[in-house]
Amino acid sequence: MTKPNEARRKFLLGAAVGAGAVAGASLVPDALSQTKEHADHAAAPSSAHAHERHGGLGTFFNPDDAATITAFTERLMPNAPGKPGAREADVLNYIDLALSGAYADQQYFYRCGLASLDAYCHKTYHEPFRTLSAAQQDEVVAALAQGKASEFTWPSAVLFFETLRTHTMEGMFADPVYGGNKDFAGWRLVGFPGAQPEFTAADMESSAPFTRLPIVGLQSQAKS
Amino acid sequence: MATEKTDVVIVGVGAAGGILAAELGKAGLKVIGLERGPRLTTQDFDPHDELRYFQRQDLRPNIKRQPITWRPNANARANPIPVQNYGNQAGGGTVHYGSVSWRMHEDDFRARSHTVERYGAAAIPQDSSIADWPVSSAELEPFYDRAEYDLGVSGKAGNLQGQKIDGGNVFEAPRRREYPLPPLRRDQGATLFDAATRKLGYHPFSTPRAILSDAYHDRPACTYCGFCQAFGCHVGAKSSILVTKLPEADATGNFKLITGAMCYRVNSDNSGRVHGVAYYGPDGSDNTIEADIVILSTFIYDNARLLLLSKTDKFSNGLANSSGEVGKHLMAHMMPNVYAMYDDRCVNNYMGPSAQKHTIDDFNADNFDHGGLGFIRGSQISIGTGNLQGGPIGHTTTAPPPGTPRWGAAYRDYLAKSFNRQVAMVAQTENLAYPDQTIDLDPNVRDAWGLPAPRMTYDWRRPNELARVEFMMKKMEEIGRAMGASQVWRGPLGPGAPGAHHEGGTRMGSDPKTSVVNKYGQSWDVPNLFVIGSSTFPTMSGFNPTLTIQALAYMSADAIVNRYRKSPGALL
Repeated sequence: MTKPNEARRKFLLGAAVGAGAVAGASLVPDALSQTKEHADHAAAPSSAHAHERHGGLGTFFNPDDAATITAFTERLMPNAPGKPGAREADVLNYIDLALSGAYADQQYFYRCGLASLDAYCHKTYHEPFRTLSAAQQDEVVAALAQGKASEFTWPSAVLFFETLRTHTMEGMFADPVYGGNKDFAGWRLVGFPGAQPEFTAADMESSAPFTRLPIVGLQSQAKS
Repeated sequence: MATEKTDVVIVGVGAAGGILAAELGKAGLKVIGLERGPRLTTQDFDPHDELRYFQRQDLRPNIKRQPITWRPNANARANPIPVQNYGNQAGGGTVHYGSVSWRMHEDDFRARSHTVERYGAAAIPQDSSIADWPVSSAELEPFYDRAEYDLGVSGKAGNLQGQKIDGGNVFEAPRRREYPLPPLRRDQGATLFDAATRKLGYHPFSTPRAILSDAYHDRPACTYCGFCQAFGCHVGAKSSILVTKLPEADATGNFKLITGAMCYRVNSDNSGRVHGVAYYGPDGSDNTIEADIVILSTFIYDNARLLLLSKTDKFSNGLANSSGEVGKHLMAHMMPNVYAMYDDRCVNNYMGPSAQKHTIDDFNADNFDHGGLGFIRGSQISIGTGNLQGGPIGHTTTAPPPGTPRWGAAYRDYLAKSFNRQVAMVAQTENLAYPDQTIDLDPNVRDAWGLPAPRMTYDWRRPNELARVEFMMKKMEEIGRAMGASQVWRGPLGPGAPGAHHEGGTRMGSDPKTSVVNKYGQSWDVPNLFVIGSSTFPTMSGFNPTLTIQALAYMSADAIVNRYRKSPGALL
C-alpha cells in the first residue's frame, strides 16, 4: 500500500512538476461575456490554468493514475527542444477535467484501461507503467496500438490506445479554456493562430506562416 | 398533455421545413413547426471552438440519446454509429453545413434511361435500383434559381442559357441567370488546384456555396475565419435556414415553432387521411397537434422511421407504404481522400470556408466516357481540408503519409511540419441505389424516448462503387502530383458504413407501385401527407444534396399553395 503522503509526493513528482496540473479551475466571470472582441481578454490568463496548484489532486485521477496518464500521453506526444509535448501542454489537466465533466461517462473506461495497462506492465516488466523507462513505455504503447498487449478485456488494448490518443490530441490542440494546450503550446507547435475572427485576402494569398496577429483563444491572447 | 389545431404541421424545421414554413405562412396558412432541438442564435456561434463543434459535434444529434445503428448486411448485428452528420436544431443541418450548393446535372435526373441510351442496359449493375426522377432539370430550374436568390449563394455560372462560360462549371445544366453573388475568395490550395487541373486539361471553378461573398439581404459578407463546416457562422454570412427562412416565417405571423419536441407518430384514421401528429415535449409530456396537412421534413432516418412507427390496422405495413418501398434504396456519398504536402511553402489550409473549396466536375455524372471502366456514374473532385474542417484537432484525425506513425516523436514532427503545408482532395462519389440498402426499426436499440432506433443496413463496397473509388483515387493522385506537392498519398477507405449526405428511404417516382411519394413529396396513399427532403431522392448524383432539397421544397410549397389548397387531392 502506498501511504497517502507518498502518493501525494508521487503525484507531484510524476504528474504536476512541469505540467502545472490544476484542480478546481474556475471560470473568470469576465470570460463569460459575449463580446466578439477576443482581444479584450488579453489581460486574463488562460483561466483553467489560472490557479497554479502547489500540491493536491485534480478532479478525477488519483496520484498514481495521474502519473500514468502523464507518462503515457508524453510518449504519444513527446517533448523536444522547441517542440512542446503533452506534459508541457498540460494534457493531464485536460483529460482530468474532461473525465469529471463532458466525459464523465468514460470514468469506468479509464479505470479499467489503466488497471489492464498496469497488469500488462507488471506481467512483462514487473513494474507499473509510470516507473518504466521511456524506451520501455514506447514498447508498451506500441503493443497496445497493435493489439498485442495481453491483460486487456474491456476496453481492448487498441480501443484504450485510440481513446488516449484522441484525448491527447484534444488536450494538445483544443482551446486552452478546456485545461490543456497550455500557453498555446499545441498551437505554437503546429503554427495555428487560433480563434481568429477574420482573415484578409492578403493573408489567404500568402505562402508564408500567418504571423500578422498574435494567437487568440477564447479567453486569452498570446503576449507576442 | 396539450392539443393544438393548425392548418399545417411541419416535423423538422431544417433545409426543407424552414422553406415550407416561410412560404406556406406567407400564403396565409397557419403553420406549426416541430423541432427536436433548440433554436440557436448567431451569437451562440461566437466561440470559435474546434473541440466543441467539430470534435464533440455540438450541433449534431447526441449519439447516446438519439442512436442510429448500422450493420453491413442483414446477418450482422447493428451497432450505433459514432458520428451523425445531420442537424439537431432549428435550421437543421444548414446551421453547421459547409454550404456547398449544387444544381444537379440534366442526366442526374435520368440516370437510368441516360445510362441505357449511352451504354446499354447491361451497364447497370443487375442488383441496382437506380431510377429516373419524376421531375426534370428544366422543371426544377426555376426553383433552383429561387433558392439561390432567396437564400444567397456565391458562385460563377458555367452555362448561361446554353452558353458555356470558362471559369464556371461548364458541365452544369443551363441556368437562366448568373449567381446572385460572385465567387468566394480563393485560398492557396484552390489556386494550386486550379493551375494543376487546367494544366491537365480539366475545368476547375470556385465551388458554389451558400455563403455570402458580399453583403446581401441585410447580412454581412464572410470573414474567412475558417470555422465553417461543423460550426455555426459567427456573423450570419452562412445562408442557413436559421438566418434566412426562419425570420421570414416569424414575420408572417402565421408560424409557431415548438422546440424540444420529439414527434413519434403521425395520426391517421380509417378515412385514409392523416389528421395530425403526436409528440413528446421536453418535460416528457405527450402532446397532439391536429392539422389538415402533415409535412415530414426530418432527416431521412426519421422520415422513414415515422412512417414505420405510424402503422395502424388500416396501414398495417406502415403509413404511406402500400408499395413496400419505405426504408429502401438508402444511399450515401463515400468521400475518399488524397492528401498533398509541400516542403517549401505554406498553404494555411485553415483559412476560409473549409469544405470543397474549388472543384472539377470533369469526372462527375456522365460527363466523361465510362466505356470499359467497369462502373457507371461519377464523382465531384474538390480541394479543401481533411474531414472538411481546417483546425488542428481535425488534422490529427486524418491519416499521415505511409511510413509515418500516428504517435510519438515522428508523428509530432509530422504535425508540426504538415499542419500549414498540407491540403486534402476529396472525391464525392455517386454511389448507386440498391434495394437491399435499407432503413428500418432496430429491434434491439432504443432512443431516449423509448422508440426503436433507425437501423441502416448498408455496405458501399460493391463492384461498381469500388471501381469508381479506385478510378477517382488515381485522378486525385495525378492532380496532387501536378500541384507540385512533395508528397501525395491516399487516405484509408474504412469499413462499409455509409458516408456523408444520406439519401433515400421514401423515394419519389411516377408509379405508386414502386415509389412512396410523387415529385411534390405527396404520399401516393395519403394525399394530405407530404415527405420532403433527400429521403425522396431516387438517385443522389455526386453533388451535395441541400440545394436540390431546397428547390424541391419551393416546388412543393408552390404546389400546395396554388393547387392543393384549392383542390385537396392527388397532385399530378
